[in-house]
Amino acid sequence: MNKKTAPEIFGLSLNAILLFIFAFSTTYPFWHVIMYSISDSRAAMSGGLFFIPRDPTLLAYRMLFKTKLIFIVYRNTIIRTVVGTGLSVLLSSLTAYPLSLARFKGRSFFSLMIFFTMLFSGGMIPTYLVVKTLGLLDSLWALILPGAMSAYNMFILRNFFQSIPNSLEESALLDGANPLQVLFQIILPLSAPALAAIAMFYGVGNWNSYLDGVLYINDANKQILQVYLRTMLGTAGAKGVLGDISGNLTDASSLTEETMKMVTITVSVIPVLIVYPFLQKYYTKGILIGSVKG
Amino acid sequence: MKRPSPTLLARKTSTDRLIGLYRYMRKDYMLYLMILPGIAYILIFKYWPMYGISIAFRDFSIFKGYADAPWVGLRNFVNLFGKAGFIRALKNNIIISLLKLIMGFPTPIILSLMINELSNLKYKKLIQTSVILPNFVSWVVINGLLYAIFSPSSGAIQGLLAAFGYDGKFPNLLTDKSNFRMVIVLSHIWKGAGMGTIVYLAAIAGIDREQYEAAAIDGAGRLSQMWHITLASLRSTIVILLIFRVGEMMYAGFDQIFAISNPLVISVADIIDTYVYTIGLEQRNFMLATAAGLFQSFIGLMLVLITNAIANRIEPDSSLMNFAKRK
Repeated sequence: MNKKTAPEIFGLSLNAILLFIFAFSTTYPFWHVIMYSISDSRAAMSGGLFFIPRDPTLLAYRMLFKTKLIFIVYRNTIIRTVVGTGLSVLLSSLTAYPLSLARFKGRSFFSLMIFFTMLFSGGMIPTYLVVKTLGLLDSLWALILPGAMSAYNMFILRNFFQSIPNSLEESALLDGANPLQVLFQIILPLSAPALAAIAMFYGVGNWNSYLDGVLYINDANKQILQVYLRTMLGTAGAKGVLGDISGNLTDASSLTEETMKMVTITVSVIPVLIVYPFLQKYYTKGILIGSVKG
Repeated sequence: MKRPSPTLLARKTSTDRLIGLYRYMRKDYMLYLMILPGIAYILIFKYWPMYGISIAFRDFSIFKGYADAPWVGLRNFVNLFGKAGFIRALKNNIIISLLKLIMGFPTPIILSLMINELSNLKYKKLIQTSVILPNFVSWVVINGLLYAIFSPSSGAIQGLLAAFGYDGKFPNLLTDKSNFRMVIVLSHIWKGAGMGTIVYLAAIAGIDREQYEAAAIDGAGRLSQMWHITLASLRSTIVILLIFRVGEMMYAGFDQIFAISNPLVISVADIIDTYVYTIGLEQRNFMLATAAGLFQSFIGLMLVLITNAIANRIEPDSSLMNFAKRK
């Protein structure tokens, strides 16, 4: 075991401390928001650090859940995320498989065609006009279809498919399987890490999506979570919700805009916080599959 | 029967090729069916909008449609460059992109080097999981977090300062023009640095341990080892990623700025994308907006192609093309 010199120990300790500070900065804000949201509004108003809630109360949550809109946007976002992610993974798989086969004539042509869209796009306005022309405005499909397949994710999947030995596919074809069966019964089960990674990319993308809600949805009942959150974070939004509910209950007067904002943020981010630690390793693998060669 | 000459036999005519293609398509038709939905999607949502680019060269009104929209050449672009709003957006775009590049590019590298020095594996894993977390959260939420921490009314910092006896108010970072670009750049780093370490840490893991041992025997300290071995081995990864990053300069972070911006700071934060949104979808001036969008896409494409060519020169096989064409 090498003996560490004094400056070395100092350097390493400093390193560990600095990393701790950075890691604290990336995690504490979430804790802060959650703690604030379950604290009594008046006690929380003085700000500062929150390691534990002050005068814990679920009042703000009860108030938020009294508004119908939060449930509506949440439901819309869940539907959009589940349907969207499922469709995206399916579409990516169906497209990636033929492109991964050397024998597929048209392979270069289609690959280039799809790849080009990664470098150049029609732009926001033309895309908006297409969605409008298709009559998709104010519908769930406007949120799902335009982003149904990401070229980048599809190529990640294709590259992963290519790493699966040809022999497996060949023996299946000899047994009389058609390509669809090969894909679903052999290739996909073997591609679990890559599928998990792109499912995560798509899922997170869907959940956090904000711009398409702004662009394509005008009906408040069809809006999605992030747009709702954005409205709440603007002063008008939180005041509006407070105004609605303070008509109902007397102790609503002890709630501040701040608390309502914190509650909305928490509610928006909790699913991600819960799911993240479990799926993080898949995500990490996915990035590696995509970016590091061979 | 007289045999045709070998060269005649060997040469495939284009008809032969077409017949060959047709035969293949009949045999392996399933593959074509499988790829059909994906191609349809690409055509409808990626290529059809490209046709709409022509609006940038026409006198277009949404009421009159394409039929009644005469070509006007580069008039829309001339108008565009005459607009102070566009020039401002272009300027902000470049400044913010540059700041993000200069400050944001080295951060994951430094972070990776630091994480690499951690010897306790559990702590290392904990740090890694923690720093990657912000990557998964939307910019709207981050806007909220910024508010929660920095708000001059009841934010974390304000309260802390008060507790230490500081009387004044912490500036409201979200509405303060003079610091806003820094807020954008720093929050961008905060969100993305952790994610960026993944590639570098993977590359570091591939470095031969013996080099370190040899260097240690020769008397090199940790810092020296870091510089001469780790960083040197990362050199090609760094160069390639840097080049790609430069190719993305036209895109300064639409999601982020759209979620965080407000009228008070728009003069320093409006970028091309947000300008296109304002002009196009709020003011309904499709001509200018499409022209601006085309300008951005086109310059962006040029940048990517140029930087790709450079990257390929330095490190063959590393370009984006190969990612798409592999094997």
